[in-house]
Amino acid sequence: MNIVDPCSYMTQGAVMPFCKGCGHSNILKRINEALSLLNLDPKDVCLVTDIGCIGLADALFDKVHTVHTTHGRSTAFATGIALADKILAEKKLKTIVLIGDGGSMIGLLHIVNAALINVDVTVIVANNFLFGMTGGQQSSLTPEHFVTQTSPFGSLTPSLDICAVAEASKGGFIARKTSTDKDLTDVIAWAVAHNGFSIIEVLELCTEHAVKRNDLKGNSLTDLAETEGHKMGIIKESVERKEFSRKYSDDAKSHMAKIKPAKFIEPKLEHNLSRPIGIVISGSAGERIQSSAGFLCEAAVNCGLYITQKNDNPVTQGSGFSLSEVIISPCEINYTGVDIADYVIIASEDGMKELINQNVFDRVNNDTIFIIDESISFSSNGFNVLSLPLRKSCGNDKAALGAINYFVKKYNPFPHNRLKDIVAKKYEKYEGVFKKEYYKLVNADTEAGKI
Amino acid sequence: MALRSGNQMVAEGAIKAGCKFFAGYPITPASGIYKGMIDMLPLGGGVAVSSPDEISALAYCVGASMRGFKAMTATSGPGWALMIETVQYALITETPVVICVVQRLGPSTGGATQGGQGDILITEFASSGGYTIPVLYPTNAKECYELTALAFNWAEKLRSPVILLSDKEVGMTIESVDYSSLNEPALINRHNIHKTDLDFKEWTMYGFDSPDMIAKFAPVGGDIKVTATGSAHNSEGNLKKNDVETISILKHLEEKIQIHKDELVLVKEDLEDNAATLIISFGITARTVMEAVKEARLAGKKVSALTIHSMFPIPEKEIMKCTSAARRVIVAEENIGGQYRKLIRHLLMGKEIGINKIGGMISPKEIIERIV
Repeated sequence: MNIVDPCSYMTQGAVMPFCKGCGHSNILKRINEALSLLNLDPKDVCLVTDIGCIGLADALFDKVHTVHTTHGRSTAFATGIALADKILAEKKLKTIVLIGDGGSMIGLLHIVNAALINVDVTVIVANNFLFGMTGGQQSSLTPEHFVTQTSPFGSLTPSLDICAVAEASKGGFIARKTSTDKDLTDVIAWAVAHNGFSIIEVLELCTEHAVKRNDLKGNSLTDLAETEGHKMGIIKESVERKEFSRKYSDDAKSHMAKIKPAKFIEPKLEHNLSRPIGIVISGSAGERIQSSAGFLCEAAVNCGLYITQKNDNPVTQGSGFSLSEVIISPCEINYTGVDIADYVIIASEDGMKELINQNVFDRVNNDTIFIIDESISFSSNGFNVLSLPLRKSCGNDKAALGAINYFVKKYNPFPHNRLKDIVAKKYEKYEGVFKKEYYKLVNADTEAGKI
Repeated sequence: MALRSGNQMVAEGAIKAGCKFFAGYPITPASGIYKGMIDMLPLGGGVAVSSPDEISALAYCVGASMRGFKAMTATSGPGWALMIETVQYALITETPVVICVVQRLGPSTGGATQGGQGDILITEFASSGGYTIPVLYPTNAKECYELTALAFNWAEKLRSPVILLSDKEVGMTIESVDYSSLNEPALINRHNIHKTDLDFKEWTMYGFDSPDMIAKFAPVGGDIKVTATGSAHNSEGNLKKNDVETISILKHLEEKIQIHKDELVLVKEDLEDNAATLIISFGITARTVMEAVKEARLAGKKVSALTIHSMFPIPEKEIMKCTSAARRVIVAEENIGGQYRKLIRHLLMGKEIGINKIGGMISPKEIIERIV
């Protein structure tokens, strides 16, 4: 009775390893028939099996590729196989997942995501309402009141409608059948042929654990589903959404067109540093602290210097502080920490607060030079403090850049023109970046001196 | 020259190595790799996708690798914890894949934007059974590029997952990278075998004639039927219990790494004759050590340093050689208790001293004051 007929996809003469009357045997035979119906080359089929009794299926299909996975993850592995096949290879594979009711809950997000991205994978959920292999424990797909080993007085919770989940995940082909349905072969063939995500939940009985404990006869599977409010039959069949690979190549192309080519610098050795200097730049989120620090670094590398730049901001990113720690060095940089800051730039009160928060004042000494916005209350305590109208004369989002520009012009670690060029490239013209009074201030204040 | 973060260089190194598939899930401090791959991988003829979690990310990569393409994902401690199930699957199915783990302060969510070197033990002991997963660890952006490419080579050569261990400071610090100095390793390409190959010989999924042999890779979708399984299996990939062949296949998972151990050594020795102190370190701490050594030598002290790039398998011979010449061996690492020190203690002849710290980089000063 359980001997499989000779066929193209299954092992000839294989004996089904399942209990007598188990729906798994039916499901596997119908899959075999569906593949025959579609006349697929066995090497163009990959069966990805999950853990549990249904996972024994791979041993029965000796003509097709089989990948037996970890519990619940089968759909994720299948997604990877199908994505690679469709985008990188010959787009020929039909990838079919065989998973039980237990595994489908562990791996629910893999099913949801496969449906959402609309990858060409068919998921067949063999739902016998319990964990059969381990003794008949209840699963998340066990109907309410259903008796299992671990719900001896009937399950207290209703079952998950996995087809409804697939529908909410915008899956294209969704069906719920029973393992004895006469048209199961056709429905499986339809699902496999569907170009995109498809799922069939097949209701069946575990003769060992379900039948003994529950009064199940005749149309009871359909009744069970309907009592739970779950639809039967073909629930959805739509090819409205494009399969993922067909969208990806267009999307990737348009994204690629927007990617700026990687920037390279041809340094010209020209600087005045004889030792590394550490600069801490702090301000408010959204006020271009880190990108301005980046300009400083780029200009320094232009001059044949080495740099490191570390950026920090709160996890929310768009609020609070923004901070960069920069080292500029005439030789390669080993240690990337700024243990004593040579310069500290503070562009806003947020920046000041964060410096206190991060104990940066433990990392300064009497030689440290502070360049700060005039709005910041700062008791100088013997520190070298330059308080400038940065926010007023540069604008809030260019206060840090104004301070950096001031620093380079005044302390001349490398020729100021190198920074000017980078600022000009970003803003078209160096002279137009800040307000007029800023340029006046810089020119009046900065008599270039070596560090 | 260019300004690049270590994470960006991991992405560039992966693409250079022929990576064609990346699946990612955002996590600080590894997100830069994900972003880099999304931007750059399509240009290299590959595909980079977003996954709904880290379990999916690695499973997608393993699936893509089974289909015949080099694949990588990147994460940090919390995501790595989720991937440990799937890395074991890659291990037992002998599927090449590269996972970049950019460490941050743990345990659990720990400190998302803080550095750390606390995932050494969890990385090495990620598998039930204690199988060796090769681990490489760069110290700077340039090495991120080079060691990523090497990680791909090892993955292909060994048919194994390979971990590129990094840390927040190595991964996220932007630095000047001299492209003309990049070492480009000779690449080992994925050799997907087919029955139609002229040199095709009888083949099994996981079979080997001698311990050093590793079965050639047949892709899902090729003309050779693939039978892959995460269950213990015979050479053909069929699920088996404790028969002799199955146990030998399991043992071979470790044997194939150990037998190639000498080819998996990458360390940097900076030794000085008659130096009393040897400092062993890796990752960001190795850069602190380099600075400390430089300053100590300027102050007239004799000191040697050993930077470990190939963390696992442990480069025992190199560690023993360097240790034997020293009177004291400092092992510096940014974690509590000295994770690597615990693993190499048997090689250090009782000379070991740990410098350990969490919540910030170890500074050169903290090293120098321990150099005699």
